[in-house]
Amino acid sequence: MIFVTVGMHTQSFDRLLKKMDEISGRIAEEVTMQVGRTAFRPQHAKWFDFATEAEIKEFCRKARVVVTHPAMSVVDALDQGTPVIVVPRQKRYNEVIDDHQVAFAGVLEKEGKVVAVYDVDGLERTLKRSDLKTGGAGRDKRLVNALKRYIAEFERR
Amino acid sequence: MKICLVCSHGGHLTELQHLREAFDGHETFFITYDSARTRSLERRYLLRNIGKNPLLMAYAFFIIFSILLREKPKIIVSTGAEIAIPAFCLAKLLGIKTVFIESWTRVDQPTGTGRIVYPVSDVFLVQWEEMLSKYGKRARYEGAIV
Repeated sequence: MIFVTVGMHTQSFDRLLKKMDEISGRIAEEVTMQVGRTAFRPQHAKWFDFATEAEIKEFCRKARVVVTHPAMSVVDALDQGTPVIVVPRQKRYNEVIDDHQVAFAGVLEKEGKVVAVYDVDGLERTLKRSDLKTGGAGRDKRLVNALKRYIAEFERR
Repeated sequence: MKICLVCSHGGHLTELQHLREAFDGHETFFITYDSARTRSLERRYLLRNIGKNPLLMAYAFFIIFSILLREKPKIIVSTGAEIAIPAFCLAKLLGIKTVFIESWTRVDQPTGTGRIVYPVSDVFLVQWEEMLSKYGKRARYEGAIV
């Protein structure tokens, strides 16, 4: 199963969902989409608008691959040990307020956590790749420890 | 100590949840946006999504002011987004300490919210070293959630 998720974002991400629905019409593998606030309604893929965190994690766990925008949903997928393909939302398509996701996709790909696809026409080929693997999220404890330290400092004052 | 956690209801909430361990042993409550997901949070105040609506922003100032007066938290921690703006401005007025954590998804471009709350934050953290130069000397890098 391919799980596509576009989060809570208020802007539409038709470009990704239309392409994934089109692909879904051509392939045997099941495609399930969380469409959020995107106006487009898939014809071939299964879809729903929102779900609980536990349900989203379960879809991420069951999927062969997760297709999403480079945002926190990436961590949900990596935590479940599932390979991730990211498609950055872009300002020129009115999918997001600026192009930070393009930069973020590049960094995630360089770290080996995801495969980035910028032009949705490349999605079908990427989905068929046999070398898709998960980067794993890992956890950096430094930020939690720093927060604890600041909270303790404020407490002493 | 009472800590107020402020964030919008999607990825920003996920980031804050990854940091929850830092608040162990403290009393916490959320100020966030209303959604199926946030309704399941234990102690929370749920607002309408402000987005770019100036009237809803004014309304949020009013509501958050009354929440802060009632709850009297010692610290506000936020991962964004714009819901942090009224919370941090009011915290300055009320003498509440503030910690802002810029999103992990921001590797080279500051958020609009980050720019606005930077001058009023007591602690301002970024999750990528490259982001330090985008803010000022008070911005700090102390690791990231991942």
